[in-house]
Amino acid sequence: MRENYRNELKAIKAEVVDIGRLVIEMSRDATVSLVEGDVDLAERVITADDDLDTRTLALEERTLETIATQFPVARDLRLLYSLAHINIHMERMGDLAVNIAKATRRTAERTGPRTLYDLIRAQGNLVHRVLEAMLEAFETSDLELAYKLEEMDEPIDHLFKQFFRELSRLQEEEEIEWASSMVLASRYLERIADHAVDIGERLVYMVTGEFEAFDESFGDEGESPAS
Amino acid sequence: MTTTPVTAQTDSTEGVAKFSVRGLDFYYGDFHALTGITIDVAENAVTAFIGPSGCGKSTFLRCLNRMNDLIPGTRIEGRITLDGADIYGPGVDPVDLRRRVGMIFQQPNPFPMSIYDNVAFGPRLHGVKKKEELDGIVEQALVRANLWKEVKDIMGRGGLTLSGGQQQRLCIARVLAVQPDVLLMDEPCSAIDPTSVQKVEDLMAELKSSVTIIIVTHNMQQAARVSDETAFFLQERQGEPAELIEFARTAEIFTSPHDRRTEDYITGRFG
Ligand SMILES: Nc1ncnc2c1ncn2[C@@H]1O[C@H](COP(=O)(O)OP(=O)(O)OP(=O)(O)O)[C@@H](O)[C@H]1O
Ligand SMILES: [Mg+2]
Repeated sequence: MRENYRNELKAIKAEVVDIGRLVIEMSRDATVSLVEGDVDLAERVITADDDLDTRTLALEERTLETIATQFPVARDLRLLYSLAHINIHMERMGDLAVNIAKATRRTAERTGPRTLYDLIRAQGNLVHRVLEAMLEAFETSDLELAYKLEEMDEPIDHLFKQFFRELSRLQEEEEIEWASSMVLASRYLERIADHAVDIGERLVYMVTGEFEAFDESFGDEGESPAS
Repeated sequence: MTTTPVTAQTDSTEGVAKFSVRGLDFYYGDFHALTGITIDVAENAVTAFIGPSGCGKSTFLRCLNRMNDLIPGTRIEGRITLDGADIYGPGVDPVDLRRRVGMIFQQPNPFPMSIYDNVAFGPRLHGVKKKEELDGIVEQALVRANLWKEVKDIMGRGGLTLSGGQQQRLCIARVLAVQPDVLLMDEPCSAIDPTSVQKVEDLMAELKSSVTIIIVTHNMQQAARVSDETAFFLQERQGEPAELIEFARTAEIFTSPHDRRTEDYITGRFG
């Protein structure tokens, strides 16, 4: 038995789970900062991203070193390979949270229509359900839960589209500038959830060794301003 | 003879089968060493046999060129064909079979004679007498064994004066000099230096276009590096015969093996 190696694999996975918690916190805070117009909270999200970047980079290095020195194969190889991918997704989710926080900076001065706030709030809640489920599926290798992520993601895409429609009703020049920041934020939220769904696909490969893309019935149709 | 049911997937995923083994059981006297081995070994490919110590890898290898015939009290059941012909059939000359199916062992075993004579030994035995012809065969075999450059100016020196790694490649040249179809290698790199290991691995890659290679190795990375297909053998319980657990493309075995026991073995969870 390779005790140190086994422990290192466990430690790397635990670190990715921890990073996942940080990302969830960041995207939740970013959403709250947006709907509450809380610029201080937005700044905290932006600062937290430095920490996230440092940790994801360190984890990437650690993963590479383990691959280089331990020659992992089979499920160990799939674990490390998948963790490397998941790590990248986490890093991008963090960046998207930062984008939302930056939208807070631009929008905090003004208040727009109630309906748009409600939509963003609802979307944020759904996104966090997806993120929590993703992290739980990941921690416990729960494939059934991983398979549900795509389904949980669908209403988020719908809300984004609805948001877009609401936006087109706005008339005033100034309000449109405000609203386009908001719609971008809605788009970022939707992208965060997409990353969570991608992580679910990775989990399936990690556990089964089969590559499988989840059903994309509500996938991207438009451009992606951030990936 | 009947074929026993098998659990492992046994069809070679590569091209034509060189060896076809069906329902093989092997006994050393009362000791039942192997059971139900069914496998197709692909032609002009490298097949790796892996598994814990004592799981019968060497025993199985020796079945393939009838070396076990030389051990008293052994018995074999089932069927092994080479290019479609039963190697245990009547009229098969085991000596001729061993020329076609050469073997390399863990410990290099050059004859106590010159480098040249070591390699010329087989061809001479088969009646090659002309100096130029022998020279050509010897040179070609040494080139194929990745040793020519190191020994071309010292052909008269004793084979036993070479380094261990060079001795091993000399033994490979000695086997290649009689133009075998198949090369059985039983842990050929366990006792040699890293440079020679590299040279042996290189020569395997070069040889496989013309020779079918089966290698037994305890080095998982080596199996992963050199082979096209990998067979995992395991004796699950003491006193019971070993079996072929899984046989598949090497890349598949080392990324997504199907059997939990294969996975546990190659990831170092036991053995
Ligand atoms: N000549 C023999 N007489 C009796 N039993 C033998 C003989 N040779 C091998 N065995 C037994 O057959 C079983 C398989 O041995 P074998 O040498 O084929 O295993 P192996 O997989 O090559 O092991 P290793 O990796 O240590 O070389 C072992 O239990 C061994 O003790
Ligand atoms: Mg052996």
